[in-house]
Amino acid sequence: MSEMARDSEPRRLATDVRDRIRFEEEALALSDQVYRVARRMVSSRDEAEDLMQETYARAFRSWRSYSPGTNLRAWLLRILTNLNIDRGRRKQRAPDTQPLEEGDYYLYNRLEAASRDGNADEDRIVERLSQDDIVGALSAVPHDFRDVIVLVDIGDFTYQDAAQILDIPIGTVMSRLHRGRRILKQELAERAVGGVT
Amino acid sequence: MSGCGDPCDKCEQLMQPYLDRVLDEAERAEAESHLEACGYCAKRFRFEEQLRQFVRSACCEEMRPELGAKLASLRTSA
Repeated sequence: MSEMARDSEPRRLATDVRDRIRFEEEALALSDQVYRVARRMVSSRDEAEDLMQETYARAFRSWRSYSPGTNLRAWLLRILTNLNIDRGRRKQRAPDTQPLEEGDYYLYNRLEAASRDGNADEDRIVERLSQDDIVGALSAVPHDFRDVIVLVDIGDFTYQDAAQILDIPIGTVMSRLHRGRRILKQELAERAVGGVT
Repeated sequence: MSGCGDPCDKCEQLMQPYLDRVLDEAERAEAESHLEACGYCAKRFRFEEQLRQFVRSACCEEMRPELGAKLASLRTSA
């Protein structure tokens, strides 16, 4: 009996090492995708890189708390989001204090009105926006709203995953997404067409 | 401003959930039948779809290889 116990100990350790290596490889394989989301949650590349390193250092330390078979990308982003909040990089704002945003058709209507003279092809109206407009407009959206947009529209997470990552109810994900996209469009309109006329 | 019975107002409200594919069947059918008949909303829905793709591609910044190497060096198993 005791001999068996002695025998199984090295085997257990070997399995442990194998699991750990597999975890690390899977986590590293996702780093490009995690980075894409991280980069838009903070304002600079340096910040994103710091946050990534902290996230991976913590993930590698606490790999045992990950349940194999669940969404590892969401698990990593949950760590990243918590670290981002812990570091006090963001000031939590109450969504209710945000100004009322324009409707969902606002941006199209503004772009269309601005292009009347140019007789633009309406199906190519999106091409009036530049990459700088988009990146700038997104970073101008307040954190609470932006995080949800980044997770759902750039990270391709479901509402449910985004709710778990941010530790907020799914209804809050939906309302922040809705208002956040409107704020984004207002910011885009300002950049592409100028202030409200 | 349109009145509260304006079908385009309703269609605008349905746009985000429609594109997120979270409408129930009846609401989706309602949005689609309106879109077929209404060029005004149809253009705005198409634009919104293109905008989402554009946001996704415009905001996609690749990780520097140096960072990948740093992350790999944080492994504890090696």
